[in-house]
Amino acid sequence: MYDDLSQRHSAFRFHGSWLEFARIAFPNLLLTIVTLGIYRFWATTREREYLWSKTDFIDERLEWTGKGMELFVGFIMAFLLIGLPLIVIQLISQGLIFRGEAILAAVMTLMMFLLLFYLTGVAYFRALRYRLSRTYWRGIRGGSDDPGFQYGVAYMWKSVVGWLPIFLAVPWSMISLWNDRWNAMSFGPHRFSATAEWKPLMKRYLLFYLVPFLVFIGAVVFGISMAASGGTPDTLGSTGMAVGAIFAVVAVLSFYLFLPLAALAYYSKYFRLAVGGLRLHNLEFDFRARAPDWILFFLANMAIVICTLGIGYIFMPYRNWKFFVDHMEAYGEINIDDLTQSETVVAKHGEGLLDAFDVGAI
Amino acid sequence: MSAFFDAWHYDGKSAVRRKVEVQIIGRQFFLLETERRHGPFAFSDVEYVTHKEDADVYGLKGADGWRLMLSGPVPTDLNAMLPAPRNYGGWVDRLGFGKAAVAFTLASAAAVAVVLLSPQWLAPLIPSSVDEKLGDALVGDFGGRFCSTPAGDAALKKLVASLDAHPDDLQVEVAKIDMINAVALPGGNVILFDGLVKQARSPDEVAGVLAHEIGHVREKHVMQALLRQMGLAVVLGGIDGNSGALVNNMLSMSYSRDSEAEADAHSMKALGGANISPIGTASFFDRLSELDGSASSSTSDNGIAGYMSSHPLSRSRKDAFEKSIVKGKNYKPALTPTEWTELKTMCTQDRKAKSGFGFDFN
Repeated sequence: MYDDLSQRHSAFRFHGSWLEFARIAFPNLLLTIVTLGIYRFWATTREREYLWSKTDFIDERLEWTGKGMELFVGFIMAFLLIGLPLIVIQLISQGLIFRGEAILAAVMTLMMFLLLFYLTGVAYFRALRYRLSRTYWRGIRGGSDDPGFQYGVAYMWKSVVGWLPIFLAVPWSMISLWNDRWNAMSFGPHRFSATAEWKPLMKRYLLFYLVPFLVFIGAVVFGISMAASGGTPDTLGSTGMAVGAIFAVVAVLSFYLFLPLAALAYYSKYFRLAVGGLRLHNLEFDFRARAPDWILFFLANMAIVICTLGIGYIFMPYRNWKFFVDHMEAYGEINIDDLTQSETVVAKHGEGLLDAFDVGAI
Repeated sequence: MSAFFDAWHYDGKSAVRRKVEVQIIGRQFFLLETERRHGPFAFSDVEYVTHKEDADVYGLKGADGWRLMLSGPVPTDLNAMLPAPRNYGGWVDRLGFGKAAVAFTLASAAAVAVVLLSPQWLAPLIPSSVDEKLGDALVGDFGGRFCSTPAGDAALKKLVASLDAHPDDLQVEVAKIDMINAVALPGGNVILFDGLVKQARSPDEVAGVLAHEIGHVREKHVMQALLRQMGLAVVLGGIDGNSGALVNNMLSMSYSRDSEAEADAHSMKALGGANISPIGTASFFDRLSELDGSASSSTSDNGIAGYMSSHPLSRSRKDAFEKSIVKGKNYKPALTPTEWTELKTMCTQDRKAKSGFGFDFN
C-alpha cells in the first residue's frame, strides 16, 4: 500500500468550523473561571481533541489522546519541584540580605536563574515530545526516548552564544535548537531528520535588527535635508513646529509599526526554513505561509480580540491551528505497511514545565 | 449470542486500515477480517478515545494504538457494552454541565473563604518555637546592624516594659538604617530603624510606633499574613500569571489594612495603659504624611515585605490618635530627657554597628 502525495492538493486539510469550536470554547471558559483556573488543563485537552479530529493527513484524521489529568499532574509536579523551591529560595535570599550576606544572596539568585534557564530548555523539548506521543494517525503515534536533559544544556549554551555577538547569532541558535529538538523525535518506526540551515535567515534577521537604526537614520537625513533647505523649525515658525510634530509622530509610529512587521517577516522565514528542513523517512515537509500571510493572520487576530473586548482570545487556539494546518504541506510517500508502532516511552505527565513558564505556543 | 457489525480497525502495530466485522460473544468480541480473526477482546477493556468525522473511536486497555471506529447507527446490544463518550471530563460528565458549574463555583468560593479566614485561628496554633526559629532564621543579628549602648538599651527596655505586660517574649532592637520605618517580624522581633528614632521629636512618638509594632506581634498578624499569602498562592496558582497575582495582592492588601487598624487600636490602648500621650504619635503621622514616599519603600515589595508590617501614611490614622486623647488626663513623658537622648544617639555612639543595607536599597 503506497500513497503518492504528489497527486494530492495538500496532505494536510482542516475541516473545523469556528461555530463548532465555540461550543467547546465557551463552556471551557465558564468552567475555567468557576474552578479558579484548574479546569484549563481539561479545557486545553478538549480543544486539542476537537482540532486534531478535524485535521486530515492524507486519508485519515489525527487523534489527540492526551488527558486533562496528565496536564494537571504535570502542572502540580512543576509547582512542587520548581515553584515551591523558588519561593523558599527567594525567602532565604531575602533573609540573607537582611543579615547582610548580599553576595551570598546574589549567588543564590544567580543559581536560581540558571536553573530556570536550563529547565526552560528542557520544558520546550518535553512539550514537543509530549505532543508527539499523544498524536495518533492510523493508530500510530510519535515520541522520543530522549528525556531532554542534554537538550537543556544545549539550549543554555546555544542561546548564550546567540546573544554574545550583540545578538547577531540568534538565527543560528534558533535554527540549531530546532534541529536538535526534532532530530531527537520520531513517528512510528521512523526518526525525524531536521537539517534546516540558518544562513538564508540572516538577511531577514538583519532587516529586523536594523529597523531601529534605519528609523534613526531616516530622522537624521530628514533633519539634514531640512537644515540644508534653510528651513529650520525656528525660521519656519508654527509651520515648522507642526512639521516637526508630525514627523515625531511618524517616527514613533514607524518604529512601532515596522518593528513588529520586521519581526513577523523574520519569523515567517524562520518557520518556513525550519519546517522545510524537516524529513520523516520518505516524507518531506513544507510550510507555505509567507510574511504577508503571517502579517494578515496577526492583524486579524488582533482585530478579533479587540473587537470582542478580549473574549475572542478563546478562539486563538483554533486560529493558530487552522493557520498551521492550512499552510502545512508534505511531499513524498508513505509505506503504510512499514509504518509500525512507535517503541518510544510514554511519559505519564504533560507539559507541566512549559505550562508553568507560560511559553505554550504552536 | 452472536451479532455482526461493520467497523474500521487499526491493530496499533501497523498503520494498515482494516475493514472488520464485530462479532459479539457474551462479554467478549472478535474482529473478523476476510481472512483473519482478531481477538478475543473483552468489552471491559474498551475505552472511549475520541469522536472523529462521523465515527466514535474506541481504544483497548494495554494495546497502544488499537482502534475500533464505529460509524452510523450502532446496534443497541453493542452500544450497551461500550463505554460512554467522554465530553467535558469525568466529573463534569457524571454531574452534568450545569450542576458541575454550580458545584465548582461553591467549592471555589469555599476554598477562597477558608484561605482568607482560617489564618486568624490557624496562626495561634502555630507553636511559638516555629515562630521563633523563623524569626531567628530571618533576623539573626541583622548583619551586625543592631545598635547597643548600656544606657540606650536600658531606655529601650523601659519603653517596651511600659507598653507591654510580657516584654520578655519580645526582641526589640534599633537598627542602624537610615529609613523612617519599623517592622514586626516572626518570633516577636520588632525592629525600629534608626532613621525613625532620629527624626522623632519626642519619646512619645517612638512609643506610639513601637506599641503599633507590638500590636502586630500580639495579634499574630505576621504569621497570619504569611499563612494567607501561602494559601492564596496555592488556591490562585491555577489562574495564570498576572491576573492571579493581581487578585492575590488585592485580597492581601485589604487584609493588611485591617491589620494596620488593629495594630493602631492596640497602640492606643497600650499608650493609654502606660499613661503616655497619643498626641506625639498623631503629630508623627502628620509629619509623615508630608514626607510621603520616604517611608513607604517597603510597601510595594513582595516576599518578606509581604508579611513585614508596613506603614501606609494616612491622615485618618492621625485623626484616630488625636481622638484617643483623654482630656484632663495627667500624661507623663515616655522617657526622661536623659533616657531619650541616650536612645536617640545610641546608633551614633555605637561605632561597631554596621550601617545601611550593605548595598543601595533604593
